Amino acid sequence: MDRRTGRLLQRSRILSQILFTVIFFFLLVRSGGGDAARLPWAGLFFYFDPLFLWVVLLAGPFLRIFLLALAPLLLTLLLGRFFCGWVCPLGALNQFFTWLGSRRRQRLVPVARKPLRLKYLLLVALLAASLFTVQLLGWLDPFSLLTRSAATVVLPGANALLQQALLAGPEPLYELGRRVLLTVTQRTFLQAAGIGVIFLGLLLLNLHRRRFFCNYLCPLGGLYGLLGRWSLLRLAINPKCRSCNACAGHCTYYGSPFKDYLKSECVVCFNCVVDCPEAAIDLRFGFPGAGRRPALDLGRRRLLGASAVGLAAAALPLVAPARSSRTHAFLRPPGAVSEKKFLEKCIRCGACMQACPTNALQPAVFQAGLEGVWTPVLVPTSGYCEYECHRCTQVCPTRALARLTLEEKKQFKIGTAVIDRSACYTYADGYNCAVCEEHCPVPEKAIRLRDVEVHDFRGRLRKVRQIYVVPDLCIGCGICESVCPRSDIPAIRVGAEEEQREIPSG
Amino acid sequence: MLVSSGLLMSPLVRAQAGTVGQADVIQVKGASPYEITQRAVAELGGMKRFISRGDVVMVKPNIGWNRTPEQAACTHPEVLRAVIELAFAAGARKVVVMDNTCHKAEDCYQRSGIEAMARRAGAEVRFSDENRLVLHDFKGEVLGKWPVYRDHLEVDKFINVPILKHHGSSGLTIAMKNLYGILGGNRGKLHRDMGENIADLANGFRSHLVVIDAWRVLVRNGPVGGRLSDVEERRSVIASPQIMHADVAAAALFGRDARQIEFLQAAHERKMGEIDIAKIALKSLSA
Repeated sequence: MDRRTGRLLQRSRILSQILFTVIFFFLLVRSGGGDAARLPWAGLFFYFDPLFLWVVLLAGPFLRIFLLALAPLLLTLLLGRFFCGWVCPLGALNQFFTWLGSRRRQRLVPVARKPLRLKYLLLVALLAASLFTVQLLGWLDPFSLLTRSAATVVLPGANALLQQALLAGPEPLYELGRRVLLTVTQRTFLQAAGIGVIFLGLLLLNLHRRRFFCNYLCPLGGLYGLLGRWSLLRLAINPKCRSCNACAGHCTYYGSPFKDYLKSECVVCFNCVVDCPEAAIDLRFGFPGAGRRPALDLGRRRLLGASAVGLAAAALPLVAPARSSRTHAFLRPPGAVSEKKFLEKCIRCGACMQACPTNALQPAVFQAGLEGVWTPVLVPTSGYCEYECHRCTQVCPTRALARLTLEEKKQFKIGTAVIDRSACYTYADGYNCAVCEEHCPVPEKAIRLRDVEVHDFRGRLRKVRQIYVVPDLCIGCGICESVCPRSDIPAIRVGAEEEQREIPSG
Repeated sequence: MLVSSGLLMSPLVRAQAGTVGQADVIQVKGASPYEITQRAVAELGGMKRFISRGDVVMVKPNIGWNRTPEQAACTHPEVLRAVIELAFAAGARKVVVMDNTCHKAEDCYQRSGIEAMARRAGAEVRFSDENRLVLHDFKGEVLGKWPVYRDHLEVDKFINVPILKHHGSSGLTIAMKNLYGILGGNRGKLHRDMGENIADLANGFRSHLVVIDAWRVLVRNGPVGGRLSDVEERRSVIASPQIMHADVAAAALFGRDARQIEFLQAAHERKMGEIDIAKIALKSLSA
């Protein structure tokens, strides 16, 4: 194949990467506001992810839309790991940072086979654990990782930086920026620092090794690599080759079709074709049986070992108290299925947090156990569940949050408010307050007022309009907790008491 | 048609009235919220009495809640449109519409229909911005310095356009309570001596004109409501340059004696106006 054709294909690949990245971010940003009816589109990329096909297959009920994930699987049998090279937005970002860190003169680094194996072993371990209902694929899946990082760090972070920059400038510019670019309120997230450091770290690692995450860590890349080794499309060297090894100069995995061709690692980027001075690299379709089958040797023992590790690791959450505990100190978003199923279905992508208009949904730290890290919890001190909103239930790709209609969601009980009588002004201090009562969105009012006399801190009897909760009416939206004017601890708090968990049909 | 009128005008009221003998408070009932608003302002002597050519005008509705106009938790967009159009017709250079909402601002602005309507009428719609808070001294008995969005201090005229509705802790929310929307900070703290705070707030910040939307009135489970069965159609608008008298008249329209409303009692103690509806020059008519 001549260089011109190679360059054309290389540029098409870059264009394709940009295009899919733009679509990805467009859908993500759009899910943060606007028309709720379009929200299911936010999950588009997830539906094409075979790892999540596996998740809904295991956890059930099966969601047919995930059959879309068969498309990239089949195409991989034809084209190899094109998905990693041409489609994946996280791959594109990694490629971009690789390019940022690349020097004009490339140092030739031999292929490091050991670290390349890591992603396969991770995949095998995660799949093995998932058979035992310990479903942690979302921690490393590129779409979960990118959505989570973008929703909780990149987008709010960009907003915060931009706001500070605009504040330093002239006021009309700030006003304009605030109108067209900034969000009305700055979003904040519990684990922003943790998620951000991981994300930034992964991006910076590209400066050390090309597409670090894709080559060494990505379980989806691992899956495509396992299939890609059987693909019909292959690169081949023709007799024009002078063994100069120039093709290794920009190879994504530091290989070269000339010397170290590993089909499972090749993301069909066409860098080698462009680098070859002799047009000695061809692109051919051929059956995998024909000729040698270049692939990474994973080793049966290593694979068995990884499965064993995955299985053994699965025991850790199973013996942790979080799963069997009758009580818990966190709230799940509306529509959440039973906790055990929720942990199995939730892919830790943070799409619900992006869609939540009030910033109420937050990635768990350790509230829900180690297994629950990055699953969504509703934190009323951060935001409340808006009565007229059901956005999170519309974006959840795997239906860990059942798709509730607005009317269903209004009835859905997330928890119950309890009054801390030692902190509430209307109990402890003998003062009127009732901010919570004012905000309670239940039309019949789950928080009500009664006229009583209480002793204030001086011991004087005072007439007070005291608040009380009607537990049966309370839906646990948490707006009461979020508006309680106390500056130390909210005097009314929502706990998981009487929480409803959607039982999935079918 | 003249339904009733106030018997006496206090010296305070007479001093404020633009024209001698003119009613202090106008209450109009009619078939369209837009028309009765126009009529009420016209009966007061027209918008030119309150707005000078070239003024920058703040029109402050209640946009506190993520509720539709039918649920009557926010000011009716048609009432707002009439006020904005009248302000422009009177020569206003710019009209700004904003509120510090209780629910998420974008939701409230949208669902209330106010954002779209205000834009269409030519007003500038702003969101309250924490970076624009300044300390304002209300010099009240309980309310001293409190953070205020300076947008409200930087305009020439302030038109207070609340909706009349039930309020759990203060009894009613009308024009004086609507001024909570200019405040930032932990407003919930002001619920402690709410009546005193509302009176100090209205005493320390001038509303040049008050136009109260009583087209639909949330009579129970306010201020947020939500249930249509709690809403009654009263098809009225009340207008006055005298905020306390406007609120007393609105309380009467609601069916409450102002003397039983804490913040009106506190306002009366601060000599902000009459609390007895009989002593207010109220002109009530049907359009």
